[in-house]
Amino acid sequence: MAERVTITLTLNGERRIFEVLPGRRLLDLLRDDAGLIGTKEGCGAGECGACTVLLDGAPVTSCLVLAASADGHEVVTVEGLQSAGHLHPFQEALVKHGGVQCGFCTPGIAVTGAAIVARGEADPSEQARLLSGNLCRCTGYTKVMEALQDAFPEGSHAKS
Amino acid sequence: MRSLELPVGFAALSPSEQLAASGAAGSLGGARVDVPVREVLRPESVVDALAVLSQRPDALPIAGGTDLMVQLRDGRKRSTVLVDLDRLGLAGVRDTDQGIAIGAATRMDVIAADPRIRRLHPALAEAAAQVGAWPIQCRATLGGNLANASPAADTAPALIVGGALVAVASTAGARQVPVEEFFLAPGRSALTPGELILSILLPPLQQGPGVRVVERFVKVGPRREQIISVASLAGRALVADSGVLAELRLALGSVAATPVRAHRTEHLLTGRRLDAELRREAVRVLQNDITPIDDVRAPADYRRIACAVLLDRFLQEVASG
Amino acid sequence: MDPSPRTADHGPLGGRHERPDARAKVAGSARYVEDLALPGMLHAALAVSPVPSARLLGLELAAARAVDGVEAVLTAADIPGKNQVGVVFPDQPLVVEERVRMVGDRLALVAARTPEAAWQAARLVQPLLEALPGVHDPVAALNSGAPPVHEGGNLIRTFKVVRGDIARESTHADVVVEAEYKIGGQEHAYLEPQACLAIPEGRQRITIIASCQCPFYIQQAVARVLGIPLAAVRVEQAPTGGGFGGKEDYPSEPAACAAVLAFATGRPVRLVLPRELDMQASTKRHAVVVRHRWGAGRDGRLRFAEVDTVMDAGAYIGLSTVVAERANVSSIGPYHVPAVRVATHVAYTNNLFGGAFRGFGHPQVTWAAEATMDKLARRLGIDPLEVRRRNVLDDRRRRFCTGQLLHRPVLARECLDRAAALAGWDEFHTQPRTTAGPDRDGMGIGLALYGCNLHHGGQRLDRSSAVVILQADGSVVVRVGLTEMGQGNLAAAQTIAAQALGVDPAVVQVWQPDTTTVGDSGPTVASRGAHMSGLAILDAVKRLRTKLDPVAAELLGCGAGEVELADGFAFVRGKPERKVSVARVAAEMAARRIEAIATGWHRTRARRFDAETGTGAPYEFYAIACHIARVKVDEELGLIRVEEVSAAHDVGQVIHRDALEGQIQGGIVQGIGWATTEELKLDRGRLTNASFTDYIIPTAADAPKVTIAVVESEGATGPFGAKGVGEPSLIPAPAAVRNAVCDALGVEIDRLPLSPPTVVAALGARHPFAWLLSEKQVDEHERLATVDRKR
Repeated sequence: MAERVTITLTLNGERRIFEVLPGRRLLDLLRDDAGLIGTKEGCGAGECGACTVLLDGAPVTSCLVLAASADGHEVVTVEGLQSAGHLHPFQEALVKHGGVQCGFCTPGIAVTGAAIVARGEADPSEQARLLSGNLCRCTGYTKVMEALQDAFPEGSHAKS
Repeated sequence: MRSLELPVGFAALSPSEQLAASGAAGSLGGARVDVPVREVLRPESVVDALAVLSQRPDALPIAGGTDLMVQLRDGRKRSTVLVDLDRLGLAGVRDTDQGIAIGAATRMDVIAADPRIRRLHPALAEAAAQVGAWPIQCRATLGGNLANASPAADTAPALIVGGALVAVASTAGARQVPVEEFFLAPGRSALTPGELILSILLPPLQQGPGVRVVERFVKVGPRREQIISVASLAGRALVADSGVLAELRLALGSVAATPVRAHRTEHLLTGRRLDAELRREAVRVLQNDITPIDDVRAPADYRRIACAVLLDRFLQEVASG
Repeated sequence: MDPSPRTADHGPLGGRHERPDARAKVAGSARYVEDLALPGMLHAALAVSPVPSARLLGLELAAARAVDGVEAVLTAADIPGKNQVGVVFPDQPLVVEERVRMVGDRLALVAARTPEAAWQAARLVQPLLEALPGVHDPVAALNSGAPPVHEGGNLIRTFKVVRGDIARESTHADVVVEAEYKIGGQEHAYLEPQACLAIPEGRQRITIIASCQCPFYIQQAVARVLGIPLAAVRVEQAPTGGGFGGKEDYPSEPAACAAVLAFATGRPVRLVLPRELDMQASTKRHAVVVRHRWGAGRDGRLRFAEVDTVMDAGAYIGLSTVVAERANVSSIGPYHVPAVRVATHVAYTNNLFGGAFRGFGHPQVTWAAEATMDKLARRLGIDPLEVRRRNVLDDRRRRFCTGQLLHRPVLARECLDRAAALAGWDEFHTQPRTTAGPDRDGMGIGLALYGCNLHHGGQRLDRSSAVVILQADGSVVVRVGLTEMGQGNLAAAQTIAAQALGVDPAVVQVWQPDTTTVGDSGPTVASRGAHMSGLAILDAVKRLRTKLDPVAAELLGCGAGEVELADGFAFVRGKPERKVSVARVAAEMAARRIEAIATGWHRTRARRFDAETGTGAPYEFYAIACHIARVKVDEELGLIRVEEVSAAHDVGQVIHRDALEGQIQGGIVQGIGWATTEELKLDRGRLTNASFTDYIIPTAADAPKVTIAVVESEGATGPFGAKGVGEPSLIPAPAAVRNAVCDALGVEIDRLPLSPPTVVAALGARHPFAWLLSEKQVDEHERLATVDRKR
């Protein structure tokens, strides 16, 4: 039986310590060990984006990250986008614009979208390029992109 | 594999069918949830990392893991111990007197955004911006793209036209491998057991006065984003004021067992003035520089056409000034 | 009281209020099957066949059983009830007993304490297989001498439509178009893989929580496989991460597997299919070959249409005959054709398992029909829009190809005109097209007439059950049998119930379908979800009001027949100032112990249809959809960019505007994917591109601009006059894209998808670099008609 490794990371703003098997994926640490089931597994191969989380502020597919590799780093999941009980502006916009259908891709989209907003990228075609690693089969993306435009602070988004 | 005794009168499966049947019933998309390794080591210095790699022959280095994690998951690569390169200080883009040194663990999104690379080696910046999609670019590393040694590696054609040198080390010493010699076969790089890529050096490229540089990386796939290329091309051309093509470096991906330098095509075009007839000759000669195959992504014929189109468009861009 | 009152101004109907499930989903707190875990739960895995056709001589299980953590390795012999999961015909075992018929056929079931152990054990199951010849071409499968997939040969069934006198009409035809269309299948690629959780109670009862579109099918399959009564199987639909038809009947298979393991081990068992196995083994849109021989007069009016279709059902019938029924009667599109002969053959092969997929046979035959209409237009030199205008059914000529009289209004011409206006059809065609550079612009039309709800052959399933409970505080519980899979059924049910009860949607809670709370309502397919749940809800509300209105009347001091409900109040008709809140009425009912729960039921009207001749009324009513696509094609690389799709939809009445638009936008993109990049690459029945890496679906960067014209009308029988849009939102888009690409390039492409190699090959010698391949010309197409470009 393999020896467990101890990892310490900042998870949704909170310092957490976990003991995991070496081959544990960050995705499973989040879902099963930390109980944060918002991050989903759609393919396990880094192609669909349903497992996207922020690692040190950058979106990554957590199914391809070893939990051990997250040691000493900061992770934010969809649950961590909220603050003080309020949804992130992009999450609110997704609800308002009807950009949520089956919802399975939604956490990953919310995370990548939050990173796009944080980056200040307001150009719609560049936003689409940045979001192209998050597959959605239901919405056809239109209302998602409308929500993204609406998620920027007043006056700062590009009108298409 | 346990040998199966066949009752008299029954025909055996072909060897490949037997192989498929014996070990693989259920490997058809069998999930591995945890990756099957027994240890993950996180050395804090290159010396320590190299020591592990020399002592443990089946140890695999892991940085971004965007290829390796998938391969471990489906059994294409096996290892009991992974060596995480995160703490070795191998990330970062530095100016040196020998050129730009990119740490092997530098992520694609950093490379794509770096102003020096964008200015001096735009093909590499363009290639890095097209690896997978954004979440992959935030994780995948330049060293990993090389070590994985896929003929479709996006950065490879760009590094080839950039004249890159791959700095490699082991407990036995260090060496530099020109990137053109780094890919040996699909999935097989020039790394010998115990070797680790430390950095990739882009030497300053000659660029005299009265010369215009055109450098480009393009890839072709079935949709616009998040694709493994069916053909890719990097080109770096130096055009004299007279319109003569003073120097040309051309490399292609996904159309041979490794990324390839298009020597014959370069030879044809160097020192000449580009016109429609020469472009036509060039795409014909290019076909001798590539050996595409039919595979699940595209037929060979389409790859030949795609390369021709990419080359033709690059040459048009070069000629148009 | 009118069960389908039209209330234009009052209430949430047609609005954009927040969808009830959106907030939890966006916050990541909605729990799908894989988010559910129970103490002691085991994980299931499947050992499957890697070859498409074989006899199973034995199984070596010792190595699998020896894996640490494995609790059970079961085979067909361990199935307590009947080893049968065929949804319509009993031709499909849950676990192979003797004969392997497809790659992915289940050989053994494993339960273990961790998913790693389970899948590792599954991998160690050693089958003894004797390879048998397989058949991988549906047309060849119908030839004599083809290896039979089942006893009785490979022709499952032939469906026909025969009307009118082809020979006579042929004499009036000035032009005849013949074509053969090779149309590939499609993978649903729902983001959430197939998943279910089975919770046993001894060996007497079981609960299944499943990602699914029809809990009732699962209930039937599990009861049969376990050998227990239906009432002992409770199936609850979990939040479902996409279905599109791929979770209509297929979920019965993983559910039955998990159930067998749960009974054997006495523990809860969860099964989540890995993506690759899901893609290989679950149902697919059928690949078909369609042959056309259509004739028209010089004026472009159709005289006759002959259609021969062969559908690749794969190894088991599943829903293939039902798909064929729909494809069959939809084969000549929304056009008036005096003489029709259609034959739709369903063939067994050892390929992928064909089943339900949004459109259900209709997209394939529409792609072919619309291609032929464009060929006709080009041959005659008539504008493709005009040739359709001349042929579509309308209020005057409204006899469908089966002879059924369509209800008025028939809005085909209206939809064509509205879409054309949005697309700028006339402007596009009067402008000169750019010839500089490799990009070519084109515009193309797709038009479909979709029969809503179930085909006559499935009438016995076309009913729906609802329960409405008015709580003491005035909030409302609604249960329906139709499922939410992202399309907005929850929002529709909530909206309809709120509209009927005159309350704010926020006080209406629709809970997920559960086979112990509502009657069998059939599958959520055929664009019937809002329609069937809506009418059942309205029926329940009507019955609830027989108890509610008298109480309200007492409080208001009026007669029970004068009570109206709106804006959260019960008020006296004509005297809105005399009002009392619905919550107050509810409290009063509770205080007086008056029954505040009602069930509702709806079933479609029985109708006549002759399956032999294909005449009669196959569907209850129809919805029209028109898509016009504008594309830019890189002629050298064969890459298609769909820039814009203009959509006009005949919807009856809008229930929820965001949900409607979302369906149309989503259906268009899913249709575009099928038309251009999604290809099922088979090697003798094995899917070689079983991953998102190589099965290419559209990303955000591929989404076109979508403009929508909603055509509302009166008279439809749905809730508040609503029709269905789930499938019409997809069906015309692929045809519109194909026609736009052919318009752009000036060649016919009769093969789907229009992948880059296919487009390049279609250009043939015209491709700027065709000369490079002159020795090795790729000619994959049997027919290429190069058409003069009108520029």
